[in-house]
Amino acid sequence: MKKRVPAALLLLLLVTSLGVLWLAPDNYAFQDRDATMAPASVRHWTGTDELGRDRTVRVAAALLIGLTGAAAAAAVTTLIAASFGLLAAFSPAWAAALLLFLGDVFLSLPWLFLLMIARSMLPLTASPLETAIATFLVLAALGWPACARAIYRDASVLRSAEWMIQGRASGLRTGQLIRLHLVPHLRPLLMPQFFICVPAFIVAEANLGALGLGVGEPMPSWGAMLLELDNSALLARSPWVYLPIVLLVVVLLLVESFATEGEANA
Amino acid sequence: MPSLLRSSILPAILFVLLPIAAPGQAAPRLPGELAWAIHSDPKTFDPAKVDDQASELVRYLTGGVLLRMNRQTLEAEPQLAESFRVSPQGTLLEFKLRSGLRFSDGSPLTSSDVAWSIRRILAPSTESIVAAEFLSPAAVSIETPDKLTVRIHLPKRIIGLAEIFDQIAVEPANRPTEARVTSGSFTVSDYKRGQYVRLNRNPNYWRHDKAGAQLPYATGIRLDIQNNREQEIALFLRGEYDLIDNLPPDYFRVVAQKSPQSVHDLGASLGTEQMWFNQAPGAPLPEFEKAWFQNRSFRVAVSEAIHRADLARIAFDGHATPGTGFISPANKIWHNDHLQYPHENLPGAIQLLASAGFHRFGNQLWDSSGHAVKFSLLINAGNPARQKMATMIQQDLGAAGMQVTIVALDYPALIERLLHKQDYEACLLGLAVVQPDPSFGMNIWLSSGENHQWNPSQKTPATPWEAEIDKLMLAQGSAASVPERKTAFDRVQQIVADQQPFIYLVYPNALQAVSPKLRGVQASIVSPGPVWAIDFMRRDPGQGGAR
Repeated sequence: MKKRVPAALLLLLLVTSLGVLWLAPDNYAFQDRDATMAPASVRHWTGTDELGRDRTVRVAAALLIGLTGAAAAAAVTTLIAASFGLLAAFSPAWAAALLLFLGDVFLSLPWLFLLMIARSMLPLTASPLETAIATFLVLAALGWPACARAIYRDASVLRSAEWMIQGRASGLRTGQLIRLHLVPHLRPLLMPQFFICVPAFIVAEANLGALGLGVGEPMPSWGAMLLELDNSALLARSPWVYLPIVLLVVVLLLVESFATEGEANA
Repeated sequence: MPSLLRSSILPAILFVLLPIAAPGQAAPRLPGELAWAIHSDPKTFDPAKVDDQASELVRYLTGGVLLRMNRQTLEAEPQLAESFRVSPQGTLLEFKLRSGLRFSDGSPLTSSDVAWSIRRILAPSTESIVAAEFLSPAAVSIETPDKLTVRIHLPKRIIGLAEIFDQIAVEPANRPTEARVTSGSFTVSDYKRGQYVRLNRNPNYWRHDKAGAQLPYATGIRLDIQNNREQEIALFLRGEYDLIDNLPPDYFRVVAQKSPQSVHDLGASLGTEQMWFNQAPGAPLPEFEKAWFQNRSFRVAVSEAIHRADLARIAFDGHATPGTGFISPANKIWHNDHLQYPHENLPGAIQLLASAGFHRFGNQLWDSSGHAVKFSLLINAGNPARQKMATMIQQDLGAAGMQVTIVALDYPALIERLLHKQDYEACLLGLAVVQPDPSFGMNIWLSSGENHQWNPSQKTPATPWEAEIDKLMLAQGSAASVPERKTAFDRVQQIVADQQPFIYLVYPNALQAVSPKLRGVQASIVSPGPVWAIDFMRRDPGQGGAR
């Protein structure tokens, strides 16, 4: 299967990032103030940023934070979407219409501004880790309606499938129906949903970070690192400034490939 | 399939990368015209109603004034007035106008125009910010014994005459024109919102150079409204702009590499960057936090734990001067040269905290009632130098056991917290100082002032040292001589250094880029910076026209 290549690459990236964090002499927040914007060296493999922090360590940490955060958020959002879609599919028509209307209202909201508002309501003293968790939770809470609609449509087709009718006729309870018949059939739909959400959330976090509303300093994040690209003065000083964006694109492409494979298999 | 989420990815990436777009086009330059960028639309062209930077620049370039402050010597120079005198008590000012003055439309300029313009400034309905400088504007009376004499009777002495009259543009009496008809170097000829302001030379300007040639030399000025610094720099390097005032420190190196002879670091500016703790008793903070912030030892320890030289070197790429107090050393007249201030001293800071009842357990500092010392530091989003300073302070204070979280807010949200809700713990901001005279800071230093940020608008001074500052500031405001004012003001600087209500971090350097083709520029760190001698500025005709 073609899926193995991106999976292996992604795994390699994750293991390398973990290895970097494990082996590097400095942590991601340490400012080596005598070596700011240093070029690549034995100590700093890809040089340092403007505050003398090791770029390799920061990129590795950002990759892990971004990917795990986005994956967790995507799992939560897929779960919410699946519950919502199933609930609508198995409710009476008027309730389904109401639920779908609710989802549409959610869809039509300006999500970037909502994210900004929700994120800025956090207490000021929230630690960087808490801001990271909050950021991804907010993403998860706002990301589900599009998935929910797709799941509703497929689930309502399934509801009237002949084998479902037969299951019901042979006395299976709703819980059993869902577990034995529905979930196995929905999985090919849920997996791509999940893999589509991951890159979307990575990018959304990067956007928030670029607006100063993402993960707090000194914790590294894609958004804060991409902000460096906004400064031509920095671009001229070190080619390693491009490292985060290159890695981000690679990660996005790898994760996206899962989604498309999933769709093809579905 | 679920295309909505997918389709949101591409716009999202574009959103992040959009600001890197290629430089745009500037409007074509007219012959003999100077051009540079301002960073926002002027809010008004009415010289009496100016209260923002862009409007102030337009007023400076178009408004004829009785006195102008020389931006290098800081002394008053007569302009429309040929001479002036102040009575010994300081309550009578008499200006003698030059003869034959005319407005840009050719109509004569007489003492009645001057009196009308000053009365307009003083009238409450104008809401001019200059009126407050006259202390009690309603009690000021103006007479015009003849066409060339203006007498101003004041209820009591006012200070900083050059700065005050520098801001009062003389307009044609009873027909204000929003700078279309002026008595200064230029007139406003065209304005396209969000694009540019175009100024034309005033053909009837009173001033001539030594050879008798009509000033200003430049035929006009185009001020492009441009808030993208990347584009501004690209257009400057292409020769479309003649100068950049307040070049951001991280771009200094870029411009210097491409055009080394055009960049100038004039040393410390008058502005300051400072952090402070919220000491307001009514703030919605826990009592133990207020107790830290109101504790002098705590503030001094924080001040001692910060590596200011690192801030200047790294956050400003070397283009800043470590801060000691609120008067920059560039302000030679008013800076207290004998100031005693907290020096960088981490062991000393840790000791001071211990003596104030704080103790360390592991890497964390705790107060005597068992609360971990943690606080947030607010900054405004979108200021890279401040962001870097905050992150460095986070590490510096971490070494003393304090946990600092940095919160970047947009300006409206920041102001809301600072001024209205007072819901913050610490804040890092800068103050752009436009006038060297300390009288500008009344609203900051008086305990009743709205900008007395650590504890604003107090009914009575909360501490004895704030009471002493009140007394000294009022005393210097009514003192007759500069040395007397200086003595009082030196003491204010010392109290602030002792108490550290504001912890001064750095004085950003004044960074300017001036095209090598531009002649007649006289450098200055006082607003409006390099263009203060605008009358003598022109592009070198020997090197061709615009591009």
